[in-house]
Amino acid sequence: MTGLLRSELLKVTSVRMTRGLVAGAVAFVVLNVVALVLASGQPGVPKLTEEQTVRSVFGAAGSASALVLVLGIVGATTEYRHETITATFLATPRRARVLTAKLAVHAGLGFVVGLACVLLGYVLAAVLLATRTHASVSAGTLVRIALGVALGYAIYAALGVCVGALVRNQVAAIIGALLWVVLIEALVVALAPTVGRWLPGGALTGLLETNPARTVGSTGSYLTPAWAALVLLGYGVLFAVLAARTTLRRDVT
Amino acid sequence: MIRVERLSKSFGRVRAVDDLSFTAEPGAVTGFLGPNGAGKTTTMRMVLGLVRPDGGTATVDGRPYAELADPLRTVGAALEASRVHPGRTARDHLRVLCLAGGLPVRRADETLELVGLQAAATRRTGEFSTGMRQRLALAGALLGDPRVLVLDEPANGLDPEGIVWLRGFLRHLASTGRTVLVSSHVLAEVEQTVDRVVIVARGRLVRTGTLSDLHEGSTRRVVVRSPDAAALRAMLDAGVDGQRPTAMDVGDDGELLVEGVVPAVVGRAALRAGAELHELREERTDLEEVFLSLTQDPGPGAAS
Repeated sequence: MTGLLRSELLKVTSVRMTRGLVAGAVAFVVLNVVALVLASGQPGVPKLTEEQTVRSVFGAAGSASALVLVLGIVGATTEYRHETITATFLATPRRARVLTAKLAVHAGLGFVVGLACVLLGYVLAAVLLATRTHASVSAGTLVRIALGVALGYAIYAALGVCVGALVRNQVAAIIGALLWVVLIEALVVALAPTVGRWLPGGALTGLLETNPARTVGSTGSYLTPAWAALVLLGYGVLFAVLAARTTLRRDVT
Repeated sequence: MIRVERLSKSFGRVRAVDDLSFTAEPGAVTGFLGPNGAGKTTTMRMVLGLVRPDGGTATVDGRPYAELADPLRTVGAALEASRVHPGRTARDHLRVLCLAGGLPVRRADETLELVGLQAAATRRTGEFSTGMRQRLALAGALLGDPRVLVLDEPANGLDPEGIVWLRGFLRHLASTGRTVLVSSHVLAEVEQTVDRVVIVARGRLVRTGTLSDLHEGSTRRVVVRSPDAAALRAMLDAGVDGQRPTAMDVGDDGELLVEGVVPAVVGRAALRAGAELHELREERTDLEEVFLSLTQDPGPGAAS
């Protein structure tokens, strides 16, 4: 299994796409932190003197989740797009092992990207906040947000692998996932929060601890981080089993 | 060795492989021949566990591919050459496979050298020519120094020099006792390389045997054109110096097609019959024609 993990890791690190997506995720976080700090205090935008606002500035480290999802999708679908899946299955005829190794490697990658986003986002936030009057957040909160981002990204990258293994078509998987995240999920969370909080995106928000009141919409509340992590893991297992049972078994022609 | 027994596979309503059985033996290059769409690639993919057969079995050294303990050290496969990530370097492409197959990563550079690609090791495969990709695919097949090689159309896209090189290389592999199964849709491409042929058409086995077996299927005949064809025919029928044709036929343009005698006998017959000759030549159906006649789609009304 060690060899297989190293093989999957080399697949990820030996193509430029990975570097591009990681750089994109980090850049997205940087933009979000800067935008949140600069916009605060403008009409209709919460002030930095509210604890909730400062939380979301630090919590912006978790704003690149969609890109991390795409990272996982690309990791799985690129094998079908360039048909390298043939060579992969020749080297490892037990296909479930390939999926397991891919999940592990991408979860690890998601975790590392999460830590990088946290590190950069926190430093940037601290620098920007230093010259402004702002509410303070406890160190404990910051640690919990950091863990939430790293864990959330790890699970999202793995979820992406599962979606990719299930759909196989790279373009369809990416467009479908982005439509889901940006449109469908956002709508459900807004219109039917009691349902939305159980969706992956809703669960991720619960995990990130950026919303102390845990309110979703006007009536519901997000899941607690522990529940949110469990729900996300549940989606991961569900998709992985589904992929292993269906598309993974298909003929490779 | 590779053993295929009563293998069948349909895609939708198309029967790609139909009750196919053959073996590829160690120490020999077995040519797996047939026109495009005959089911060669599907058969190879079933041998390699990539496509699940509807019926029958395919084994390598007695085991289905999926049950091989060490697949890359047992079987080396080079399927379609374009199946590499264009953004990955040749060396990384092979290293990925080494790691997954439990082989030392130095095998990547060793096999690149074997196929003459060492200078291109750090180039992205997207910049490769088709011939270079073929060589890279072959390098991938050789990573585990396997006893069995399965190569799908390895000569496609190779320049003439590359084809000569491939020929020598395959002969070398077989001479070291390896089992080599190599597919092609052009007989001439592998004629000088293979020891045995397995010919398929429309998913079914058409012929299996050595190349000389196939040569026996080729025939010589004499084509003769004469305004006095009837007299010539009568003379040949009666026999010339005890030699008599085994068969005579009238061709499409009214020429006489004579089998079983050399042109000299026909000439002598013409002289004795006083028949004026407009044409006298020997016609030989070569291997390619035998191959074509074996694999061609029988037209409507033809006996199957």
